[in-house]
Amino acid sequence: MALARHIYQMFESVVGLENISDDPAVIISYMYQPFGRTHGVWSEIAPEAVLLPGCAEEIAAIARICNRYNIVFKAMSTGWGIHNLPGVEGAIVLDMRRMNKIIEIDEKNMFAVVEPYVSCIQLQVEAMKKGLNCHIIGAGSNTSVLASATSVVGYGPDGLSMGFSGRNVLGVEWVLPTGDILKLGSTGGQSGWFCGDGPGPSMRGIMRGWEGAWGGLGVFTKCAVKLFHWPGPAKIEMKSHPPNYVIKEPLKYFHASLFSFPDLEKLNEAAYRLSESEVGYFISRLSPAFVGMQMAVGQNYVNMWNSGMLKAMLGYSFLFVILANSEREFDYQKEVLNQILKETGGQASPIAETPEMQAETATEVIKVAAVTRSCFRGATGFNTSFGAMDTIDLAFAQLKAGAELKNKYIKKGVIVDDGGDNSATLIFEQGHLAYTEVLILYDLHDKESSDGALEYLKESNQNCIDKFLGPPIFQLSQVGTGKHGLFSPKCHDYDKWQKKIKTAFDPNNTGDPTAYTSPED
Amino acid sequence: MLLELSDYKDDMRRCIRCSICKWPPLAQVKSLRFSNACPSVAKYNFHPYSGGGKLALGLALLEGKLTEATDEMLNILFRCTACGACDSSCKYNAEIEVLWSIYSIRAHVVGAGYQLDEHAIITDSLRREDNPLSFPKSERGKWAEGLDVKDLSKGGRAEIIYHAGCLSCYDPESAAVARDTVKLLVKAGLDVGIRGAQESCCGSSAFQLGFQGEFIKFAESNIDDWNAAGAKTVVTSCACGFGIMKSVYPLLGKEMKFEVKHISEVLADIIKDGRLELRKNLSAQVTYHDPCNLGRKSEQYVPWKGEAKKLLGQFIVREPEKIIHRGWNGIYDPPRNIINSVPGVILKEMERIREYSFCCGAGSGVKQTMNDFALWTARERIEEAKSTGARTIITACPWCKKNFKDAIAELEEKVEVYDVVELAKQAI
Repeated sequence: MALARHIYQMFESVVGLENISDDPAVIISYMYQPFGRTHGVWSEIAPEAVLLPGCAEEIAAIARICNRYNIVFKAMSTGWGIHNLPGVEGAIVLDMRRMNKIIEIDEKNMFAVVEPYVSCIQLQVEAMKKGLNCHIIGAGSNTSVLASATSVVGYGPDGLSMGFSGRNVLGVEWVLPTGDILKLGSTGGQSGWFCGDGPGPSMRGIMRGWEGAWGGLGVFTKCAVKLFHWPGPAKIEMKSHPPNYVIKEPLKYFHASLFSFPDLEKLNEAAYRLSESEVGYFISRLSPAFVGMQMAVGQNYVNMWNSGMLKAMLGYSFLFVILANSEREFDYQKEVLNQILKETGGQASPIAETPEMQAETATEVIKVAAVTRSCFRGATGFNTSFGAMDTIDLAFAQLKAGAELKNKYIKKGVIVDDGGDNSATLIFEQGHLAYTEVLILYDLHDKESSDGALEYLKESNQNCIDKFLGPPIFQLSQVGTGKHGLFSPKCHDYDKWQKKIKTAFDPNNTGDPTAYTSPED
Repeated sequence: MLLELSDYKDDMRRCIRCSICKWPPLAQVKSLRFSNACPSVAKYNFHPYSGGGKLALGLALLEGKLTEATDEMLNILFRCTACGACDSSCKYNAEIEVLWSIYSIRAHVVGAGYQLDEHAIITDSLRREDNPLSFPKSERGKWAEGLDVKDLSKGGRAEIIYHAGCLSCYDPESAAVARDTVKLLVKAGLDVGIRGAQESCCGSSAFQLGFQGEFIKFAESNIDDWNAAGAKTVVTSCACGFGIMKSVYPLLGKEMKFEVKHISEVLADIIKDGRLELRKNLSAQVTYHDPCNLGRKSEQYVPWKGEAKKLLGQFIVREPEKIIHRGWNGIYDPPRNIINSVPGVILKEMERIREYSFCCGAGSGVKQTMNDFALWTARERIEEAKSTGARTIITACPWCKKNFKDAIAELEEKVEVYDVVELAKQAI
């Protein structure tokens, strides 16, 4: 069903002729979206048009038209993953590419105000010029700052020192599905952007709850995010050739260490104690396959894997990075680290101590620029399972359950054999919170493999319920209509609240409910 | 044929839609202002204008999801300078042939009978006049009239054939640089000749716009002529010509008895070994623009032919291993070495350089057919050049120079643009 011409023209009059298209070549390119799919690369549902709005007022006008004519809309920022696409027929896509400005970096109050298309890497390089840094989510620095702050999850391995996006968000400008423009926190109280919770309305819980509404509650057009002190240089120069860019000059008071432990329990204990000690810039539990795929591709990776070196080096290990302001602080942090490791049986790996590895690690933990290597290039398909943001204990319990379940599917040959343990386990907010994703790699274009992956995901979701492992955040956005029925009864009937919010803020259900919740489910 | 869309099916299916093709390699992003890699998506914004978006289009065409080319599809495919920045950025984290997929999509569309009217002018000119600029073939050799250099079209042999390239043969300002080039080579004592009226197009435009038959005709004819002339080296000033000769000519399977060099390589060598001395102090801050075809697009392309097999369950391995063209083996240092050899000249680098340089906007027929887009792109690059503090742009391609000069004239900016040869000449 194509958009009626007069409706298309109404949209066109809002955004301008050059910023709207329903040409088949444009539409089909927006339907290509492999991330999160279990089979193939194409969405089954074609949007009716793609619009490139330039400001909140244009989006408000679009939303009003949508309400008048019962048209569903879905906004995307950098647009990576199937949750960016509308899940219902007859919808339009709002591509936020034109809204790409850093409105302000408030050096004194340590925050930045950004539009939706500003990526983490763009904000980071600008913040560093002012001695500041920003949190980058685990998916990588190619993602939108605003999207993870307002709408989608938002954890990352630098969370040890820079929190997580849901906590870092301050003032927000929000175009509701009805077309009303709402300003949250101090912005709503006309007091600037410095606070998410007042003076002015604090609606953080409604806006994003724990994991975000995934674009189901309208469009966020500006937000402020906390910035953090950056002790490094204003500009980080790189050397060497692609794909091995590394920082040119070693960072002062930087040290990356790779520690291994005799078992998962000891690793768990060390993780708690280190996080609570409030030292460190970055901590991530690294699995052998994840690291291997960052470093090598094709037959080289297979050889590396088969040699057993990765497993021997990274069995129960984590990467811990110190980045301090002074020699004294650096020494203090190292001492704390050494003390905890001594008491928990942690062994430092000499492999991380070479200047080359220090430079490589510094590049990756600061720029978070090479994550996709580990997730996609091995087998084309990638998905994540388990993954409730909760305690360190729960993260390790998920990890164990994930490895056990995955091994069953590895034996069937339908997913990549990564030893069952392919995950990124991140600890943030001084150990109060942790997150792990159990990753699976499969061939999107091989039916046996993709069917196997889908079966695994279903079983992992059931595992979460049966073993009390919490709701798997990314699966909640993917499973589709009726998904909440699986988890909600075990999780305080959360979806009843979501439906109430959705009904109150979006009475015509025009904000695409697919990845969030629909009152009609 | 060189370009078959089906050869790139696997590449097109491997795009993960991460948008990394839209920016420089992430570790090399230095500011928000200059963080676009792709001129096309930077200007037109819709996703299909990006490298990844074009891969989706190609796959849709191959799988029959799109059965005809709309005007907008032709705009998407050809309002693109094929600069290859998307390809370099993607290959920071992946092994996908983005640029060659784009070439193949264009060839597929052209093969299906679609063509922009503007491109018909180029192809007609190539067929009739052996150049894409609609100038008479008979006037090709005029640029060299009066030059004291061997004209091989009249017989004789030389160790080096200097291939001026189409723009240098017909555009008076570029022709002047070509004349200076020949004089410098002769002055350095090199045995150099030109092909005068018999020189013809390198075929770069035809290749990049998807006209494979035309390209092959020009490329094979050039290889035959250069072999017959007994030259050891073919030297060109045109980065577009250099790029195509280095990266694509070898795929034709014809023996090439000569080496291809860009003039910046030769000049850098003769400056280094003292055959050309740069003595004059020019006292200037300059910045250098890397032409795409001289840099990332001049690596010899080796298409992958083999089998994908699965190990470790579903882990895909290519046999034989794929050779990855990441762009860093292009010509980057010789022009910089020339600049740094000039007394008093300080090179101030832009943010986007070498394999992740931003395009000037002229490539792939865009200058001739979509000048608005060419100038928009040039303006972006000029802004970046100005941000270095320099007010002089040095480049090593007549097309880049012309496009920058046109944009500067329109902007009424006080920025100067010189070819690296002109800089060297001024310093003698």
